[in-house]
Amino acid sequence: MQNIISDPDQARKHDSGKERKLIGDRGDYFLNRMEGETGANISACYQCERCTNSCPVSHFMDIKPHQVIHYVQLGWREELLKSSTIWICLSCEMCTTYCPNEVDVAEIINHLRNMAAHSSITPKEKSLAVFHQTFLEVLQKSGRVNEFRLMNAYYLKPDILHERIKNKALKEDLLLGITMLRKGRLKLFTPKSRAIKEIKRVYSQTRGEIV
Amino acid sequence: MRLSFYPGCSLEGMANDYARSIDAVFRNLGIDLVEIEDWSCCGATAAHSLSQTMSVLLPARNLAAAEKLGHDIVSPCANCFNRLRFSQNMIKKKVFDIPWPVTGDIRVHDMTRFLAEPARIKSIKERILRPLNGLRVVCYYGCQMVRPPKITGYTDYENPQTMDRIAATAGAQVIDWSYKATCCGASVGIARKEIGESLTRRILQKAQQAGAEAIVVSCPLCQSNLDMIQKDRSKRHTPVFYFTELLRLSFAEHVDPKWFKMHFTDPVPLLRAKGLLS
Repeated sequence: MQNIISDPDQARKHDSGKERKLIGDRGDYFLNRMEGETGANISACYQCERCTNSCPVSHFMDIKPHQVIHYVQLGWREELLKSSTIWICLSCEMCTTYCPNEVDVAEIINHLRNMAAHSSITPKEKSLAVFHQTFLEVLQKSGRVNEFRLMNAYYLKPDILHERIKNKALKEDLLLGITMLRKGRLKLFTPKSRAIKEIKRVYSQTRGEIV
Repeated sequence: MRLSFYPGCSLEGMANDYARSIDAVFRNLGIDLVEIEDWSCCGATAAHSLSQTMSVLLPARNLAAAEKLGHDIVSPCANCFNRLRFSQNMIKKKVFDIPWPVTGDIRVHDMTRFLAEPARIKSIKERILRPLNGLRVVCYYGCQMVRPPKITGYTDYENPQTMDRIAATAGAQVIDWSYKATCCGASVGIARKEIGESLTRRILQKAQQAGAEAIVVSCPLCQSNLDMIQKDRSKRHTPVFYFTELLRLSFAEHVDPKWFKMHFTDPVPLLRAKGLLS
């Protein structure tokens, strides 16, 4: 009986000095929400780690795929949205395909990425988040995505140029760009889609603008 | 026979050679490809990463345009195919407001599976003038075309066979290997280069270990990743072909080396050595 602590504040301080969270209302709420929105049976996970073992990039992640599921079960939303995992995920669907309990792990990670994009939390992998954002911006401008325009727009984003000079990506990109241009692989101009207006409307609607 | 063709953005830019080889092959097979008139981007990884609504709506517009035409859609790009199928799936669940009239009932084929159907294999066989004898290849499918099986409809997602069958019909010697459906890391390839490269390099290495002289792919991003990573490697070149390029090669009376000028890893020396190019 001694071990059961009824006061949550006391429970958080219990054991280690690190603040702990309990499975309570908040945990259930987040789990329910995630299950409802993704349609994935998250409660069915028994932590066999098959997702993590099949993931080709799990060693680049701070929270491994099977831990992501566990964190959702515990309701640790903030930790998940702050993680690098949600941005590193390639959406290659290995985890989903090989889960013995048919938990749609990739969809859960993708949904968390959606949530992070719509929250005020700064993404841990900023360069990846900015890249996706740039892709959509280029897309809505011409209805289709031109590689040259995409890379230009990406470099013009704050901090990206600086970061890419520092990790020598700029030099590589320039050399690659020149070779691609010589081989005819880089088209500076490609036709636009004739449905730009409709695409723009979808884009602004999704961002919550009333049109 | 007539099909709606959804090319996708890459085929206008980086993978223009893929587009040209598709055109040649389908002309030869006598199948009409009608480009969906005002097609727009499927949104790729970016759309589903940032907004599910957008990842359903962007392909839905193309589906609606194709439904107007009434033919089945064929998509050469693995990611476009995956996104179109995903969108169809979501349209049928009726949880999104789609501003266009669309039912999601039209069939979406990926190009490899369409050409690997028995009837098509037969007509490919009839048209081969230049069997690719002695060319040892591995087929690389990547992730988006086969997974998740619930969306893509592949039953042999662990060991897909469509491209193997096509390459074998063209006369190539197809080698079995274990990395057919491993991801090449394209979605993080630009923003986190080192992750993308580590994955691509492993696939390339395993293909070479399996004894392949060339890799056959069907996705523009797989091709560019596997091809461009070899730009600085003088040691061993493994050209990366689109499967339609091989078909075009085996269908043609006269082969023009210019067909392969967009490749980083020049396949011409290999084809010369095999006696496929004069």
